[in-house]
Amino acid sequence: MTLTIALPSKGRMKDDAIAIFSRAGFGIVQTGNDRSYRGRVEGRDDIEIAFLSASEIARELGAGTVDFGITGEDLVRESLPDADGAVAFEARLGFGHASVVVAVPEIWLDVTTMADLGDVAADFRARHGRRLAIATKYHRLTRTFFSRGHGIQLYRIVESLGATEGAPASGAADIIVDITSTGSTLRANHLRILSDGVMLESEACLVRARKPELEGSPVVGEITEKVRAVLPGA
Amino acid sequence: MTAVQLPDFADELVAAMAARDTERAEIPVIQPAEPFLDMAGEDLRRRIYLTENENGDSLCLRPEFTIPVCLGHIAGQVGTPRRYSYLGQVFRQRRVGGNEFYQAGIEDLGEADIAKADARAISDAAGLLRELLPSEYLSVTIGDQALFEAVVAGLGLPAGWQKRLIHAFGDETAMGRMIESLASAQAATVEESDLGELIVAGDVSAIAAHIGSVMEETGYSTHASRSPEEIAARLVEKTELEKTRLSDKAFAALKTFLALDARLSEAVAELRRFASSADLEIGSALNLFAARVEGIEASGADLPVMRWRAAFGRPLDYYTGLVFEIASTLEGAVLAGGGRYDRMMTLLGAREEIPAVGFSLWVDRIEALRTASGAGEPGE
Repeated sequence: MTLTIALPSKGRMKDDAIAIFSRAGFGIVQTGNDRSYRGRVEGRDDIEIAFLSASEIARELGAGTVDFGITGEDLVRESLPDADGAVAFEARLGFGHASVVVAVPEIWLDVTTMADLGDVAADFRARHGRRLAIATKYHRLTRTFFSRGHGIQLYRIVESLGATEGAPASGAADIIVDITSTGSTLRANHLRILSDGVMLESEACLVRARKPELEGSPVVGEITEKVRAVLPGA
Repeated sequence: MTAVQLPDFADELVAAMAARDTERAEIPVIQPAEPFLDMAGEDLRRRIYLTENENGDSLCLRPEFTIPVCLGHIAGQVGTPRRYSYLGQVFRQRRVGGNEFYQAGIEDLGEADIAKADARAISDAAGLLRELLPSEYLSVTIGDQALFEAVVAGLGLPAGWQKRLIHAFGDETAMGRMIESLASAQAATVEESDLGELIVAGDVSAIAAHIGSVMEETGYSTHASRSPEEIAARLVEKTELEKTRLSDKAFAALKTFLALDARLSEAVAELRRFASSADLEIGSALNLFAARVEGIEASGADLPVMRWRAAFGRPLDYYTGLVFEIASTLEGAVLAGGGRYDRMMTLLGAREEIPAVGFSLWVDRIEALRTASGAGEPGE
C-alpha cells in the first residue's frame, strides 16, 4: 500500500514542511519541475507526496483521499464538522503560529469581553434594525465559539475572503473574526482583540486521516515517530 | 419514523383547523433563507437545508411555517385579525428522527385581546390533540416571560442587568450562570484612559464627543454601526454595574421565583404569595396572567393536566409572553409547542405592531402515538 502525504503547495509553510520532513529523514523531491503538484520521497516507493493548498489539505484529510497532511489546525477545524473524529493531530510542528480571534473596533470602549459583546448583540436589532454583522471566513469556528462557548446566537456572518480587517472601517461589518500572528494588522486597522476572544491558538500540524486501513500500519507509525523525534523539545 | 406520505388523518386535521375559524396558508417549499437566519441566528445554518439560485441568493427548504405565514400576511396587506392554519412538510437536519416531517399549526395574528387569544391558542392545540389522540393522557406546561420581566423590573435592578437576565430567560444554564455572576463581586474592567474622570462623572455627552472625534480621526464610518452616543451610554452604564452587586434579597427573590412550579389552577394564588413575601409590584403582568387562566377555564375545552413553570421560556428575542408545550403524559414526547411572538411581525417588516400567537403540532409524533394505540385502524 502506498501512503499519500499532502504538503502545502506554496509559501513559507511549504518550505517549513519540506524542511521538517527532511530533518526526519524523508528527503522530498518534487517530480518534474518545482511547480509540479506531485512529489516523492527519495528511496521510498511506498510514499507519495501531493502538493495542495492548505485548505484543500484539510478537506482531503477529512474525505480520507490523503493519509497524512501538514496544514494549520484552524483550517482543519473550520473545514470538518467533527475534526477530532475524522482526523488525528499527530504532532504540533512549531511553525505557522497564528490565533483565530474576535476583534472589535478599538473605539468600542465598552466592549472588552465576550459578555459585553453578548449584550451588544442582544440589543443590536432593536437599535439598528439589523443583526450584529461579523466579517469572517471562519464560519464554523465562529458559530461554535459564539453559540456553544458564549451563548451568543443573534448575529449574522458576512462572508469575507480577503482584507477582513478592513470590514469594520468600511461599514461592511461591525466586528471581525480573523487570524492574526502578531496583531499588528489588527492594530493598524484600529481593532482590538477581546480579552477572552482568542478562539484558537493554531499552528501547523502533522495530521492523519482516521481510516481503518491506517490503524497499526508500520509506515504510519514510522512517519509519526520520526517527525515527532525532530521537533524542538523532543 | 419518517413521514414522507401525508398522514392518514390529514383530512380530518385540516377540517378540524378550518372549523376553528382559520384559513389555510399555502406556503412554497423553497423559501428565502434570510428571514430564518435573521430571526434565529447563524447557528440555524447547521439545522436547515440551504441552497442557492442562479443569482447567488440564499434559499432554503422550509424549516418551519410561522415566519413564512407572517411574511405572507405582511406581503398580502390584508387586515387583521386573521387566523391562518397550515399543514405540510418541514425540512431540518435533526439528530433524532427523520429530516423531513409534517407539521401543522395555527397562527393568530392581530387579536388585540391578548389573554383571550393566548387562551384560545392553548385550547385549540389541546382540542386538536384530543380529537386526534382521544385516549392519550396529555399534560400542558405554560410559561410567561412577561411575569419574569415584571419580577426583574420590580426588583429595581439596573437596566443592563435586566436586559442580561431577560436575554437568558428560558435557558437554565445561562440563567444560573448569569445570576451567580451578578451576585458575586466583579472586578472593574474599564481600561485606564484619560476618559476615566468623565466615566466616573457619568458625562455621556462629553464621552460621546470624544469617541466621535476619535472615530473621525481614524476614518471609521460613524453611521454604519454603533454611534458614539450608544458606546458612551453603555460605557457609563457598565461602569456603574461593576460597582454594584446583586443584593441578597434580590438574589433570593430571583431564585425563589425561578423555582416556582404549580398547577395552573393554583398559579395565580402562588404568584400573589410570592409577590407579597418578596415585596414586589408585578400587578399588570399578574393581571394578564390571571385573565389568561380565566380564559383557559372559560374555553370549556376538555383540558388536561396543566402546570405553570416560572422558568419555562424560549431564549429567542421575539418571544414576548406566553409559551406552552403539550406533551404525552406517559411518553413524554412533546406533541405541540407554541407561544406569543408580538415582536416578530415588525422585525419581519410590518409597519405597525401586530400581536401574534400560535402553535405547531408535531404530526409525526402524533402519527406514531396513533399507530401505537391502534387509533384509526380498521375495526377500532
